Amino acid sequence: MSENWLLKVQDLSVHFHSPRGVVHAVDNVSFEIKPGETLALVGETGCGKSVTARSILRLVPEPPGEYASGKILLSQDQDQSIEILSAPIKAVRAIRGERISMIFQDPGKALNPALTIGRQLAEVFGEHRMDMILENAGIEPDKASRADKMIAQQRASFLQIRLFSLLRSKKGKALQKSIDDAVARALADTGIPNPRKIMNSYPHELSGGMKQRVMIAQALACDPDLLIADEPTTALDVTIQARILELIQEMQKRRGMAVLYITHDLSLVREFADRVAVMYAGRIVETGPAVDVLASPQHPYTQGLLGAIPHRRTPRGQLAAIPGSVPQLVSPPAQCHFASRCKWAAEACKSVVPLLNSTETSRKVACLRFDTAEKLSVDIGDMPARAEMGEVAAE
Amino acid sequence: MSGTTGSLAANYGVETDAVVSLNDIKVHYPVKEGVLQRVAGQVRAVDGVDLTIPKGKTLGLVGESGCGKTTLGRVIAGLVSPTSGDIWMDLTVEQQRDVQRLRNQNEKDFSEQDRQLWKQLTTGNRLGSMSREKQREYRRNCQVVFQDAFSSLNPRQLVRDIVGRPLRVHQEASGEDLNRKVIELLERVGLGAEHMLRYPHQFSGGQRQRISIARALALNPAFVILDEPTSALDVSVQAQILNLLVELQADMGLTYLFITHDLGVVQHMSDNIAVMYLGQIVEYGPTDQVFDNPLHPYSKILRDSNPSLEGKRSDRDWELSGTVPNPIEPPHGCRLHPRCPVAAAGCGWSVDDVLNSAEEKTPIIFETITTVERRDDFNAEVKFRDAEAAKSFATQVKSSVANLALDRPPELKGESVKLSFNEVPDASIQQIQDGRWTSCTRTQELGALPGFEKDKA
Repeated sequence: MSENWLLKVQDLSVHFHSPRGVVHAVDNVSFEIKPGETLALVGETGCGKSVTARSILRLVPEPPGEYASGKILLSQDQDQSIEILSAPIKAVRAIRGERISMIFQDPGKALNPALTIGRQLAEVFGEHRMDMILENAGIEPDKASRADKMIAQQRASFLQIRLFSLLRSKKGKALQKSIDDAVARALADTGIPNPRKIMNSYPHELSGGMKQRVMIAQALACDPDLLIADEPTTALDVTIQARILELIQEMQKRRGMAVLYITHDLSLVREFADRVAVMYAGRIVETGPAVDVLASPQHPYTQGLLGAIPHRRTPRGQLAAIPGSVPQLVSPPAQCHFASRCKWAAEACKSVVPLLNSTETSRKVACLRFDTAEKLSVDIGDMPARAEMGEVAAE
Repeated sequence: MSGTTGSLAANYGVETDAVVSLNDIKVHYPVKEGVLQRVAGQVRAVDGVDLTIPKGKTLGLVGESGCGKTTLGRVIAGLVSPTSGDIWMDLTVEQQRDVQRLRNQNEKDFSEQDRQLWKQLTTGNRLGSMSREKQREYRRNCQVVFQDAFSSLNPRQLVRDIVGRPLRVHQEASGEDLNRKVIELLERVGLGAEHMLRYPHQFSGGQRQRISIARALALNPAFVILDEPTSALDVSVQAQILNLLVELQADMGLTYLFITHDLGVVQHMSDNIAVMYLGQIVEYGPTDQVFDNPLHPYSKILRDSNPSLEGKRSDRDWELSGTVPNPIEPPHGCRLHPRCPVAAAGCGWSVDDVLNSAEEKTPIIFETITTVERRDDFNAEVKFRDAEAAKSFATQVKSSVANLALDRPPELKGESVKLSFNEVPDASIQQIQDGRWTSCTRTQELGALPGFEKDKA
């Protein structure tokens, strides 16, 4: 196994127990992320893309959530890997922020309104970068006394109890300066013009774009290998959206990290992602290089999504809308979930779960139109019309 | 080129009958301070908007959050009363001309005939001064579909009550007749009789928006205000709703005011668009022309930052710098100039712009400012704690675009710097090509969007 991957999700299923039954939010999802690449996970509301992302950091609350099956492997040094779902919680906490970090959709809700920006960021450094803080304050990390560490921890913590600092005010000051410098540097890195002023302000004093920059600074403080961006620009205006995405891209290039970019907006994918995985009703229905998938979508759902975006040339009132609505995911039947909305749907689509099949190099589609009757052992008359390989679906 | 100015620009080329005409609409919200709730300033949410909504067409109103587009929509619907300005209903082409002519005259100078005409217009067509029945008729005729179908439908009411309420309020129908009408309306928006006795929470987002639309259409209105009707929906559902809206417009001859921040949607839906920035309309024109050849830097930047499925985004040089200015004290001249990539000397630089840019770019120098003695917005003396800071502030001003707008070079005297800017009137929207209106003063001079010189950035 010399394959070069950073994160591997295998057959992940996440269920939620509700009074109405078991909701299959994520259903046998598998994908890989290579170091330094951007994978976009695209889908509509309720398709399970956010749950998938949260599972990677094991942030889905249990109960009502349940990791029903699957593995999430994060590669470590020397061809080893750690399985996140079964690892002890202490090991997972070491991964969070340090190796994988996350930006959330609404920066207004993700930041603590009662703390200044400086304090919130200091916490990250106190948790993960104690050695650096001590060193910058002129204390050798190996020789630091317990009291020194305590002071640093307290200075970085949002509680701000300063018992020890009273006794050793000189060291306390040096440590505080070291923490502040680290925070200011992290903020300046994301293009915030005057970090010192921002550090002393509360989240409500900042604009949406600025808050998202703070979130990015916080997420990237520890140089993670993977950044999960969960709809980072949905709450922002278009002019700011472009700048935030460019910032993420620039940081990615500079640090060589991988990005898992979760969005519902296909038009952003082309410019900001290398590969794309389209999700529908808890399953991945199509994956491949972003440019190829957008140019010639193979799954009927992807085709429908692209057709539904208002386009210069589409005459008014003739958008290719996908009829019907997303099916309920409470105890779903074993079938293609898109069958009820699909114009190609045939008998076999209602009895077989389509699996991801390679259609071209590096492209996969979960649609029976790309499968053969023998392989699925169904009657050939029940199969939907076969898709021509290399057929360009987008007219 | 018709060189019209000020509020006369209202009509944007009178060609068709108007459902609604706005004259110099302002909505200011007071900001109160202290124990005595003293009024400290006014948030200028909408600040001098002239707009005509032609009958049977779709007008798109685009802008970013906080630009006042929703407030303007609410003013038109009669949900917010404007601080000043007139709203006229159902004006014919001649009536619009009369209103324009009479508004520019002093009421004392009216001839007897004009006085009669003005009285007739204000009592017949002006919201606020027209008769009760007329007001009621307007309310029937003008309906709103709100952005969030989750909070605009009463969760305790059945769909029948929600959709049937306007009919009952206006005593159009009751009993069996009402049920029949509600079913008719539901079928019209793609729902059915089986949905009539359900509660809103039993529907998906797209279906709720359909219910909202059915409610808006209950009284057979001529004019519907669509306030971001699809921004809470997924693309595939959005397409369904947009198709439905177009179909209904063709069937019922509706006029739409489509308020949105999504440029793709507005391009698809509207005949004309008005671009709003900080409470004012900065560009108005036919949709295709505005997209192909924007005449205001802001429209161009909006267009270019909208992600598209095809092609690379073209001009990346054009970018807005800084953040949206405070709407309590909007910039002088053109409101975009402190952020504009092609701003020049005549764009309305004032003392506040220089101070704001110092605060953003060089906070260390900004913090050493002790007092600012201002004679007016264009002349002031800025005092610093030390001469060094004053000197670097002066050099900074000299190296910025604002320097070109200075009356004389900044006077450096010890710890203080004296600034004196050329006074510039506020920018007004003017027609520069047939049917194309822009408030960019440089475009108005050049007749086309100014070019971007890279070295200046």
